[in-house]
Amino acid sequence: MMKKGLAAFLAALLGFAVIVGIATFLLRREYHAPYRAPAAVTQETPRAQGIADEKAEVEKRDKEKPYQEVEYRQFPKIGSRVAVWIAAQLHLLFAAFVLAVPLFALAIEFIGYRTKDRRYDRLAHEFTKLLSVSFSLTATFGAMLTFGLIILYPKFTTYLVSVFSPTFLPYVGLFFFEAFFLYTYYYGWGKFSPRVHLALGLGLNVVGTGIMLIANAWLTFMTSPSGISEKGALISTWDAVRNYTWMPINVHRIIANVAFGGSVAAAYAAFKFLGAKTDEERAHYDWMGYIGNFVAICAFLPLPFAGYYLAKEIYAYSQTLGLTMMGGAFSWLFIIQAVLIGNLFLAANYYLWLGMGRISGAEQFQKYIKYLLILVATCFAVWATPRSIISTVSEVRAMGGSAHPALQFLGVMSAKNTAVNILILTTFLSFLLYRRSGKTPTVSWAKAGNRAQLAIFLVAATIVISLGILGYFVEARVRIGFSIPQVLSVLFTMVSVTVIDVFLYRNATKTGEVRWGQIAPISQYVLIFIAVTFTWLMGLMGYVRSGLRQHWHVYGVIRDTSVDAFTPTLGFATRIVSVCVLLFFLLISFVFWLASLTGKKDWEPRPEKAAETERPGLEPVGAAE
Amino acid sequence: MKVPVSLRIAALAVATTGFYTYVGQLVPQKEVHPPAEVAISKDMKPDEMAKVGREIMEGKGLCFTCHTIGKKGPLRFPDLEGVDVRAKSRVPGFSDVDYFAQSIYQPSAFIVPGFNPGMPVINKPPIGLTDDEILAVIAYLQTLGGKTTVTMQTKLPYQAGGNGQAAAGTVAPPPAGPTGGPAATTAAAPAPQNAGKKPETPQNPNPSPPQ
Repeated sequence: MMKKGLAAFLAALLGFAVIVGIATFLLRREYHAPYRAPAAVTQETPRAQGIADEKAEVEKRDKEKPYQEVEYRQFPKIGSRVAVWIAAQLHLLFAAFVLAVPLFALAIEFIGYRTKDRRYDRLAHEFTKLLSVSFSLTATFGAMLTFGLIILYPKFTTYLVSVFSPTFLPYVGLFFFEAFFLYTYYYGWGKFSPRVHLALGLGLNVVGTGIMLIANAWLTFMTSPSGISEKGALISTWDAVRNYTWMPINVHRIIANVAFGGSVAAAYAAFKFLGAKTDEERAHYDWMGYIGNFVAICAFLPLPFAGYYLAKEIYAYSQTLGLTMMGGAFSWLFIIQAVLIGNLFLAANYYLWLGMGRISGAEQFQKYIKYLLILVATCFAVWATPRSIISTVSEVRAMGGSAHPALQFLGVMSAKNTAVNILILTTFLSFLLYRRSGKTPTVSWAKAGNRAQLAIFLVAATIVISLGILGYFVEARVRIGFSIPQVLSVLFTMVSVTVIDVFLYRNATKTGEVRWGQIAPISQYVLIFIAVTFTWLMGLMGYVRSGLRQHWHVYGVIRDTSVDAFTPTLGFATRIVSVCVLLFFLLISFVFWLASLTGKKDWEPRPEKAAETERPGLEPVGAAE
Repeated sequence: MKVPVSLRIAALAVATTGFYTYVGQLVPQKEVHPPAEVAISKDMKPDEMAKVGREIMEGKGLCFTCHTIGKKGPLRFPDLEGVDVRAKSRVPGFSDVDYFAQSIYQPSAFIVPGFNPGMPVINKPPIGLTDDEILAVIAYLQTLGGKTTVTMQTKLPYQAGGNGQAAAGTVAPPPAGPTGGPAATTAAAPAPQNAGKKPETPQNPNPSPPQ
């Protein structure tokens, strides 16, 4: 008690000192009339009259001031671009999370409903716990972004409104329904029949996707405008909506959102796992982390293909825009992207390999891990190799040019396409080995099935590598076309091998159980690393999608004439991305903490306080009633 | 001392973010500003026009985003080395100025065999070169294997107010092609690997992207 009293006294003293300090500081800045020596005859200064005249003049000027439309306003300190950038990025990250979690929560709930396994229902419920606060944060940052645009970029916002005004009312309507479905879905868990609840989840996903499609129309229009005249006048809102990059962004975003949402949900599970007190808790959160990561990686594998589709449409809209992206101002950004994606693949594989440790009978596959690691590392290195490097004069002389004589061949698209496709195949193989751990197939055609799977893998790898090599010897038009059979052969492998595997391991005998919870703690840090990397990747790719327009608000239509009408350095962009990522994780930690409160016991007074309240004369208010 | 889990997680998030930020500082750092306007006067001499034309091609025209000069091998877009020689002899009855003018104002009219359509209309946004700037660009293109003959007074049929009439010192509008549109001229010179190949039938490429 003495200590508390002393602390309170010191705090009060400090507070007083601070207040005195502030008051002194402010008083120093108060206006003081300059010192004048006393004169025999003091001439009266017409100061009051002067002030009145000035005021009248200002009033007169204000009354006559004509209305002028402001094109831009400046946000203090950080500038308008950075302010809108941060608001938009945080809005997008939370929106992606809020759209993605219901997608896989509904799928997991459905699995639970079909299999009658209550664990899945619990898991889906736990995922949705993260939604309600995230939804509020999405709306908050959405409002910040909207006000930011209206205040800081009024002329451009007016133009967008003129094109897209018919879409605003449906957007607001869908947003209302999103809130209705989300809260009913979450608070109605276990309160409705499973079918009704699943229908609510479906409604939530449909409405959420609808919101995303509308918002995507606005932002893709800025990059690849259509439905307007050469002078920018609206011809058709529907044509403006379905511009060149709208559908590719829709596809890319849905997949990327699921990957991102899965990784953040896995990070939540990791956070809970690391703080778990009991084996039961650890087992549950290990499983939850595995499912979250599984969702993330499943969505991540086809993501590069969606990226190709988007890039193809950007090129189809404007070769200049495409070349600015891949060969101009942003070309080095894709080296940073390669580092991020390479890390994601490495971490995802590492997590799967660590996961094999908790399955009895997985030992037979562990001998392959070193080969898989070599493949992943080699592909990563190829992908991250730039065409030319920053070098000193002596280095340029030694190399015989700005590009390295040997490594330059790894810096072109033929090598990179090959590397990323092999990387995807390797990760898929890792997952397949993990899936098979502790199981032995019992079907009569097991050997033939294994051989067929191996053959498919080998054929796909041969196609990918052969076309990659051939790409060096053909003209650009043909080379660009090679990416399609490369991608298709990898997709075909993933689908056909999975189908064979499902039938191959149907009714398989279990040689060992999965010991959930018995995984090395480092695996949980890997999950958090994956989530941070995904978030950073989203920030970076959001920047290139938006920055591609360079000094245009709407490419080729509304030119940016503000002080920010230039493309900043990649170093600057990455610093802003990092700020956004750290802010996001700060806020999502708050969401995690709030979600973890739901399972805690209600607050009760401590025993000594409880005893105090029980003493006569200290009854709480209302106790007498 | 045992470090709390929350602190470890925070440190991991900060370290990961810091690492990617560091990678971002390692790549070349360049601010890209909107291209500066180049001063053009009506009394420029041909060599001055060519010099200004080169500047426009490097800057506002964005020409070297796609085109190269003196690059060999499989290319996405035609290399411009010696382009004037090919421009003069490509289509009978077409001067090199006809050739360049059409490829700048109507780039989709004909696509060089072996290449995909992709050149934007240069006198419209987002590039939006003025008629005078285009004359300067043509002057420079003529120096790539030839001599500048175009002047600031040359009238091109595509220019604002152009009547399409050929006269002394002016460029004739291209003759009608098989589809009723302008006849086959090359959008730019073919890349070296296509030299000597028989030109294909003029394509009617995809419609221009919506602007």
